[in-house]
Amino acid sequence: MVRYWDLRHVAGETTTIDIDNGVIESASTSFFDRAVIRVLGPSGWGVVSVDNYRALDLDRFIAEALALAGLTGEPVELADAPHRVLPVPVPSDDPRQYELEEKTRLLAGIEAAARGESVRNTRAVYSERYETVRFASSEGVEYAYELGRSGFNVMAVAEGDGVVQMGYERLHAVNGFPLRTGVPCGEKARETAVALLGAKAAKGGRMRVVLDPELAGVFAHEAVGHAAEGDLVREGNSVLAGRIGERIGVAGLTIVDDPSLPGFGFDPVDAEGVATVRTEVVRDGVINALLHTRETLAAVGNGLAGHARGMPGEVPLVRMSNTFVENGDSSLDECLAECRDGILLIGSRGGQVDPGRGVFQFNAEYGYLVEGGEPGGMVRDVSLSGEILGTLHEIALIADDRRMHQGYCGKGGQSVPVGDGAPHLLLENAVVGGSGRD
Amino acid sequence: MDEIDAILRAASGRAEEAEVFFSTSESIGAELSRDRVRVGQAGHAMGLGIRVFAQGRVGASSTNDPGRWEACLDAALAAMRLADPQPWEGLPMPVALPGTPLALDPSLSPAPATVAGLLASMQEGAASHPEAVVTAGSAGLSRSHVVVANTHGLRYEETETHASCSIEAIAGTSTGYEFASSHALDLDPRWVGEQAAFFAAFGAGGEPLPSGTHDLVLSPLALASLFEAVLLPALVGRNVHAGRSRLAGRIGERVADARLSLFDDPHRPMGPGATWFDAEGVPTRRLDLIRDGVLEGFAYDLRTAYRYGAASTGSAVRGGYGGAPSIGFHTLVLEGPVSEVMAKPAVYVRSIVGAHTANPISGDFSVEVSNPCMVEGGAFVAPVRTAMWGGNVFDLLDAIEGVSAETRVVGEMVLPALRVSGQHLVG
Repeated sequence: MVRYWDLRHVAGETTTIDIDNGVIESASTSFFDRAVIRVLGPSGWGVVSVDNYRALDLDRFIAEALALAGLTGEPVELADAPHRVLPVPVPSDDPRQYELEEKTRLLAGIEAAARGESVRNTRAVYSERYETVRFASSEGVEYAYELGRSGFNVMAVAEGDGVVQMGYERLHAVNGFPLRTGVPCGEKARETAVALLGAKAAKGGRMRVVLDPELAGVFAHEAVGHAAEGDLVREGNSVLAGRIGERIGVAGLTIVDDPSLPGFGFDPVDAEGVATVRTEVVRDGVINALLHTRETLAAVGNGLAGHARGMPGEVPLVRMSNTFVENGDSSLDECLAECRDGILLIGSRGGQVDPGRGVFQFNAEYGYLVEGGEPGGMVRDVSLSGEILGTLHEIALIADDRRMHQGYCGKGGQSVPVGDGAPHLLLENAVVGGSGRD
Repeated sequence: MDEIDAILRAASGRAEEAEVFFSTSESIGAELSRDRVRVGQAGHAMGLGIRVFAQGRVGASSTNDPGRWEACLDAALAAMRLADPQPWEGLPMPVALPGTPLALDPSLSPAPATVAGLLASMQEGAASHPEAVVTAGSAGLSRSHVVVANTHGLRYEETETHASCSIEAIAGTSTGYEFASSHALDLDPRWVGEQAAFFAAFGAGGEPLPSGTHDLVLSPLALASLFEAVLLPALVGRNVHAGRSRLAGRIGERVADARLSLFDDPHRPMGPGATWFDAEGVPTRRLDLIRDGVLEGFAYDLRTAYRYGAASTGSAVRGGYGGAPSIGFHTLVLEGPVSEVMAKPAVYVRSIVGAHTANPISGDFSVEVSNPCMVEGGAFVAPVRTAMWGGNVFDLLDAIEGVSAETRVVGEMVLPALRVSGQHLVG
């Protein structure tokens, strides 16, 4: 018995350009076509993922998925949720109006800007992806939309006195063309790599830290966002389970996930046809809502569906989209003055969390020692770790200068585009790791 | 696939050389959510990758609709015209390869009942530590087929099978994870379940560790995550010549403890990446990277080898059909001085949170250790609370006290547990 089915078919093109030390290694376009068919049988899901989908085969795949659903014993229910498709933002500068040659020329300019004295390697990579998403379900929901993302990253590797360091910058957008304005990113990568040659390894320990907007955004993503994902909560694998209404942080702290914003994590509608909406995970320091699919909303409650996302051909999971800390009323200067002695941490090399243990770790690209409230010497290879349930109480000041950054987030073998952001934050009693010694 | 010859014929008039990579795969899997199966899953995958070459220029494109091969070939030719010319001496000619499959279990077929059996056995194993509960798990079986063909008449085919299972458990806020992966249906799912539940149950309620210098025993999982982030990229020829490897220019020098050796062994039967030919049709061979602590060589594909006057080491790999092959490893084996690594007191590091944030160039890292516990006399003695560990992957290779006799497969690596001294932890 088929209680429900849906089909999500994604087809499109990807373009990648790779310039390494001035050599155009590749500049190519490829094509993809993948679909996933989900069927809810008497208890759980049967799922078929297929490359090169043909609509004629839908009935056959539904039958195959129903047979697979026979393996399951978990009774799955779907909560009702509103359906809506937002308009896709119209690009002010559409990447598709530029020839591959022009894109290659623009990327070469960014890569060239990363070269300079002490720099021994530069590399820049452009990626562009346009996809058409078609969805249909047994509930009669049907939609189709086209969405594009494009952007680049640029790296400079500098060497001096046997020390090798790198600077890395990236810029991506939904339906935009950041490649046109990317030269300053190349310059920044070079400046960072060269400056890091003179930086000291950070010494670990407990101290006050100031997080810049990029790193503070990753902090919100790793320290709170993942643990608020309804599938992890349902499995009993999140320290936030059963804590709705509890105070987790200081008054004034609000952490949001919002796939309806036209940031890098934008979705006009989620991967199961549900309207994308703003979800305030933490409101004024209190755990307020969880992120859900229709299934986890029915199983767990306390939150909103509309957070289902999946790579083409993959089963949608509960995922973050645009995740951020709302502005407070402080400023960077106040954060530094209040920090007095500690570290100002800049940029992100990524992070990871174990939401069941409630432990997270993430790494800054670099930092500056703060001495007497003033940023001083540069430090490298500095990381931050902590426990979800304690850390947010340690936020002492929230500035009013929020910025968003773009990245990719991995979960369950799937990588999806996300935006993270925050204003500058001052954190007390942070566990800082580094390889430096006395 | 019938189209392969058609593509090579069409390409040969428009480029000097061409290569086709075609893969198909049938898979089946199921996922646990706590104590019940929530999803049963099947996959039908296919993909076609085309590369074309002329005057040192290379272009690539891919599609998973073989019916669109003409558009894919056009895109590859357009890419070729844009690429900068580089030294190129041609795709490989065909040679006779042994026909024996290296990674195939003929008895393994993607059957739903087998997958359900793997999940049930893992659950039984986990039940031996009732303080821990299963949060999630999965099992999967697949059979895949690849063809590499080129305009020199080379056409190699290989079929491989794969079985895997994994499970996560929790006790309070202590989590445990275990997995197994093999080309044959020789997994021990009961052991996988038992291990995950053991680490969850044993890790609950640890005391903080004093900050300072400690001896560590790194599990193969912990070691693999650090190697993947830093050491493997540093041994890739392209990174070496592009100035992105700290090991550049150090061939013949001692870079590790004199008792350590690291080599790629693609012909090891049932090795994780076992194969007779690499992703561009070059016959594979044993590749010594570090022998007795001395750096012996780097891994090359054809493109990097031609450019820098080296020879391909048969190290081209593909993550899928898409894009171009890159340089990687097939079955990377670490050998060292075998000892009872858990005899003397040490902090056992089961896994690491944040290894991917290590600095891939300098090797410096600062990570969170998961499921740490004190070991002594060959046994797990007491859990400790999570700690930060700062260090350097290259320095680790010289801080070796010993390796375990037992090894396990993690990704493309076959690794022992490793005991290292003088490591700095912040509790």
